[in-house]
Amino acid sequence: MTAVSAAAAQASPAGDADAERVPEEELFRSCIYGLLARVLAAPPDAALLLNLRGLMGDDTELGRAFDAVAQAAAATTPDRAAEEYHALFIGLTRGELLPYGSYYLTGFLHEKPLAALRRDLSALGIARAETVREPEDHAAALCEVMAGLIDGAYGAAQPVAAQRQFFESHLAPWIGRFFADLTGAKAAVFYKTIGELGRRFVEIERAAFAMEP
Amino acid sequence: MEQREKSKAKRRDFLKLLGVGSIAGAAVAATGADAPAGEPEAKPEGAGYRETPHVRKYYETARF
Repeated sequence: MTAVSAAAAQASPAGDADAERVPEEELFRSCIYGLLARVLAAPPDAALLLNLRGLMGDDTELGRAFDAVAQAAAATTPDRAAEEYHALFIGLTRGELLPYGSYYLTGFLHEKPLAALRRDLSALGIARAETVREPEDHAAALCEVMAGLIDGAYGAAQPVAAQRQFFESHLAPWIGRFFADLTGAKAAVFYKTIGELGRRFVEIERAAFAMEP
Repeated sequence: MEQREKSKAKRRDFLKLLGVGSIAGAAVAATGADAPAGEPEAKPEGAGYRETPHVRKYYETARF
């Protein structure tokens, strides 16, 4: 049984240059991180909402979270989603939420957690794109890194041990709380379902990594 | 080696049990792939099937 089944299109796995093909369940993790990154970086446009409407979950907690996202995507519009996003993350000087590791861990932006993240990113050979102004410890950026570590976007696909190291250092201490906050945020309607998807997925990640020898 | 294979199998079974594991989650793959119109960006190496030029604005492989 799988969390999501969908119509059409086929996905060919990434990492054709890798000696070992990334297993499908790992690529699926990468997709989920990719989705979270996508909607946390910017509000969903019409095309994305259309795609999300097609998600069909199975009878697992994660599957039901996908179903909820699909329903919320069907019930919203790009304009409403953009208004939500703005209220949640932008505001006049700040949004309802501040999705940054430093903020969650210290109460301030640009703190030690960001410095530690930059060191680890550097060691992984990953740098912030020149056009990006936000600090790297934004939830969207961290999800993007996880996706890339899994599927080899930044070079070789990283082994689970390396993914675990990054996850436990830079996501696990705070991102579950962020997703829970997103679920409870006043402005969140579509994003409420994203918060729930993120929260459940991060719990699965945490438990799966903890199983590693 | 045997141990490693066992732990891989354990991880795979765990993830699949909890609903993580379909390559046919192509809709999920597609949800990461949409880029707003008018944002041209070079496809990063090794991105494979998952093109997320809009999302990838955060990071790129560091060039030394």
